[in-house]
Amino acid sequence: MISRRLLPKKYRRNLTYLAAGILIAGVTLYLALPILALFIRISPDMFFETVHDPNVISALWLSLFTTCITLAVVIVVGTPFAYYHCRYSYPGKVVVDTLIDLPLVLPPAVAGVALLVLYGRVGLLGKYFNMFGMPLAFTTLAVIMAQIFVASPFYLRQAKSLFEQLDPAYEQTARTLGASSLRTLTLVTLPMTATGLISGAVMTFGRALGEFGATIMFAGNLPGVTQTMPLAVYVGMQGNINVGLTISILLVIISFTIMIAVRLIQKREAERA
Amino acid sequence: MLEAVIVKKLRDYTLDVTLTVQPGEVMVLMGMNGSGKSTTLNIIAGLLEADTATITLNGECLCRTGDDLDLPVEDRRIGYVLQNSAVFPHMSVRDNVAFGLRARHKKRPVITERVALWMDRMHIADLADVKAGNLSGGQKQRVALARALAIEPHLLMMDEPFTALDAESTQTAKDLTRRFVKEMQIPCLVVTHRMADCTEIGDRACVICEGRKEWEGCPDEMPEFAPVCHCA
Amino acid sequence: MKEKLTLSNLVLISVIFGLLLVSALFAGCTQSTTSTPATTAATTVPVTTVATPVAAATTAVPTTVVTTATPAPTYTATEGNLVAYTAASLTGASSSIGPAFTKAYPNHKVAFNLDGTQALKTQVEAGAYADVFISASNSYTNTLKSEGYFVNDSVKTLTTNYIIVILPASNPANIKSLSDLAKPGVKIAMAAGTVPVGSATMTVLNNSAKSTYGEAWKNSTISNVVTYETSEPAVATKVSLGEVDAGFVYQSTAAASASGTYKTIAIPAKDNYLQTYTIGILKGSTNKAIAADFEQFMLSSAGQQILANYGFTAPKTS
Repeated sequence: MISRRLLPKKYRRNLTYLAAGILIAGVTLYLALPILALFIRISPDMFFETVHDPNVISALWLSLFTTCITLAVVIVVGTPFAYYHCRYSYPGKVVVDTLIDLPLVLPPAVAGVALLVLYGRVGLLGKYFNMFGMPLAFTTLAVIMAQIFVASPFYLRQAKSLFEQLDPAYEQTARTLGASSLRTLTLVTLPMTATGLISGAVMTFGRALGEFGATIMFAGNLPGVTQTMPLAVYVGMQGNINVGLTISILLVIISFTIMIAVRLIQKREAERA
Repeated sequence: MLEAVIVKKLRDYTLDVTLTVQPGEVMVLMGMNGSGKSTTLNIIAGLLEADTATITLNGECLCRTGDDLDLPVEDRRIGYVLQNSAVFPHMSVRDNVAFGLRARHKKRPVITERVALWMDRMHIADLADVKAGNLSGGQKQRVALARALAIEPHLLMMDEPFTALDAESTQTAKDLTRRFVKEMQIPCLVVTHRMADCTEIGDRACVICEGRKEWEGCPDEMPEFAPVCHCA
Repeated sequence: MKEKLTLSNLVLISVIFGLLLVSALFAGCTQSTTSTPATTAATTVPVTTVATPVAAATTAVPTTVVTTATPAPTYTATEGNLVAYTAASLTGASSSIGPAFTKAYPNHKVAFNLDGTQALKTQVEAGAYADVFISASNSYTNTLKSEGYFVNDSVKTLTTNYIIVILPASNPANIKSLSDLAKPGVKIAMAAGTVPVGSATMTVLNNSAKSTYGEAWKNSTISNVVTYETSEPAVATKVSLGEVDAGFVYQSTAAASASGTYKTIAIPAKDNYLQTYTIGILKGSTNKAIAADFEQFMLSSAGQQILANYGFTAPKTS
């Protein structure tokens, strides 16, 4: 190879562009082609026919229902939690910090086993729930519990980091102007961290929607009650491939729609500023 | 009138200051970075707790450690302007100025009238609907001043308010501050490390060094040893 | 500093991009022609084919002394290493079969991929490599045969298994007979319909309803099912954890478990379903000679004894 310095500038530039082009094309194709393959593999007629399959409809409804509730719980409980966790120091704060991150590295199946051992019918706490006639395992509630366990770190870490990075001057000034803690939180802190919180919520939604291992372990696999879309895909691919493909495509469509919607919202926020 | 006696043990030294500021008087706190000036302001505002403190404002006791008396931040009626102005960037100028009044649940017509008045006085009326995040440094500082004064506080405190401004904005801000402090006859505490600020805006000055008041007197008579910055 | 993109640069980039796109699509297209058309859910009508078991005697045949590479089982074809896709109900037995096979055929090792037969079948159809396939369902075996994945002559009956109901040792729902399964509030685990043991369970329920307990019993029992697991061991796990009151599994699972793990309720032979396991060599295997050795080992008295130890029922000779 000729030394780079000896090559005329035009060739050097083209080489750079070539390398960049290959890189970008490679990454894009690696991500895009499998998604495209899903759509190509099943004919549109078969897709629309399978969409009416009762298993598909019940899995779709169940997934959306549980994931929305999970998201609502995580936001409503997680936001004040993250706020107080940041603004106050308390004994054991480091431990709590670590625990928030734990579900991220824990294999979902392990999370499922842990939930089962604790909340199952003969579980440490579960047996008391069972005694009072409130069994937890194998219910839709179990699906929501599993989703919250594995997906909440995405929102909590994001909220924590946002609240920590927010200049305390804003909240302090608001307080001196006479605003209560609640007013400060809702009128100052949250609007200023909104964009970041939304992206955290989106990640939580995506993770909860795709949750599989903990769900099948703790909640089981019962169509209409606990068979969420990922479980239905798994079972479908082992028997009724059309169902598996159809639900996969539905999941892709949902994910894309959410991402685009969030991008639009963020763009509009940025334009208004 | 503000009377404050504050003692707080900090990491490197103990903060131990006694301040008295008359109504309509601008008291300048000078000293090196880290000497405890900002901590003093935060304690008076109620954002920090002192080890022992007795703070009275216009005869009303804001804080007396001995009797476990401690008025919360939002009830102290103090206007506080910080170095970075801390205007709420997502709100309009009008909403910023109205913030304190709304927080205190004033009636709507009162709010409208006062907001218009202060925006006028600070020459920001034409920016009323602009998002505060889009303003220049000088404009932001005037908004912060209007916001602090609109609640008709009993004390105005400013922490390095002119450091980030250009010369012209600094002059405007200083003039406005002095004018309204005198007009409203409220005590005013200004923290700065620049000599020019001290002489132009202050009626009295004191030098804080490592948590202790080393000197107090007229700004013109400031001794040479005062560890201040003579720039600008 | 951004450099301006000139026209020639753009042309260059688009050409490269286009070439990559075309080659990727090309690769995708050629792959898809070999895969089978999408199949609909197998509503299994059990087809029992009873083949004559191979004669017992085994001759120790170390064919060639090969230097094997990896000690750990891998799912790739290495000389002397077999990849056996095996129905999950043989999980326990596989831990004994592996060492016994290596003892009988030194320098040969077998690695087991244990999963529900339906899952393994899907993997093979998607192009996964295996030397030997042990299936828990005749119907799936026949499908794979007709799709051309098996060396059809090599497919033989390996063993059989009956269905049984297992209960946690503490029997929390106090189940004494099959009729108790329909009691309200009882929690039952079974395998999904696509798993061989799952469809066998449905057959058992249908048979029992027809002969003894009635349709109402069957419907109540099915509404008591709280989970459809994707493999047989998963059903057993839910029962052993005490999270369900009863589960439908193979007799082998109950027989091979440590005593006291489960209580059992037997299903009368006339209502029961005899699951037939087959073993066969796959056409895509590159170790067919060794695969044949393994199949012979499994069908020999040594292999059959191991299966018997783990509770499997020897196939009837017709």
